[in-house]
Amino acid sequence: MATIGPPEANMHQIDLTKLSIPQLTQLKEQLDQELVVFQNSLQSLKVALKKFQNSADCLGNFGPESEDKPLLVPLTGSMYVPGRLKDTNRVIIDIGTGYYAEMDNDASKDYFKRKVAFVTEQMEKIQIIGLEKSKIRDAVASVLGMRMKQQINTAQ
Amino acid sequence: MEDMQKKIQSELDSFKLVQKEYQKAISNRQQLDAQLNENQIVKGELDILSTDSVVYKSVGPILIKTDITEARQNVEKRMDFINKELKRVDDHLTELEKKQNNHRESLNKLQQQFQQAHVKAAMRA
Repeated sequence: MATIGPPEANMHQIDLTKLSIPQLTQLKEQLDQELVVFQNSLQSLKVALKKFQNSADCLGNFGPESEDKPLLVPLTGSMYVPGRLKDTNRVIIDIGTGYYAEMDNDASKDYFKRKVAFVTEQMEKIQIIGLEKSKIRDAVASVLGMRMKQQINTAQ
Repeated sequence: MEDMQKKIQSELDSFKLVQKEYQKAISNRQQLDAQLNENQIVKGELDILSTDSVVYKSVGPILIKTDITEARQNVEKRMDFINKELKRVDDHLTELEKKQNNHRESLNKLQQQFQQAHVKAAMRA
């Protein structure tokens, strides 16, 4: 889970029309690669968001009314043993790096709310940066096209 | 002429070696960054929990009950360690960058010399 900082403040302003065609091509390739990275991060954040939402939903499914209800606990993928819900107000949550915390229902709901908010925030940040990058990419691509046309014209 | 080609080749090889090392250091840095982030998040969660909450640490497939203050200290220690590692990797990175630039410069020089020698040889012929 990576936090994304604000876009770099010390970016140089470069006049695209002054760059040569190989430089423009290289720049475009680099931007394309960066965009792919953003797409991938967005995808994995979406997966993480789904997982948190799923866990929160699951938590909402059993309240005090399901106390003492029977259930089957999977020991392996294909073997189950019968069990009984003893305490519906206490769950153990994986908080990362091998640590698990015992929480009551309300605290765990808060936990998932926090996580969902965090992931959503990161996704918004990435989306903004990605949009900016794709704008730059389009600008570079259009200048590159212009330069290509110019070169063809002068060659004739 | 052949001598020069050999020189360029060896310079190019060492340049590529430095580049490879640089890539490795970069991915190392990224990994450390991710670890630091994860530990920071865990630290935040541990701080939110009250001091009498029960915390488990997973050791292989089993969970072992741990004292929450101990868990907090543990995570903090880990963060310290990662920060130190990050600094070390950063220093290594700047060093490699310098090396890369040196190699690039000498490569350029060698290439120019090579071209000049080529032109001279062509003129003589």
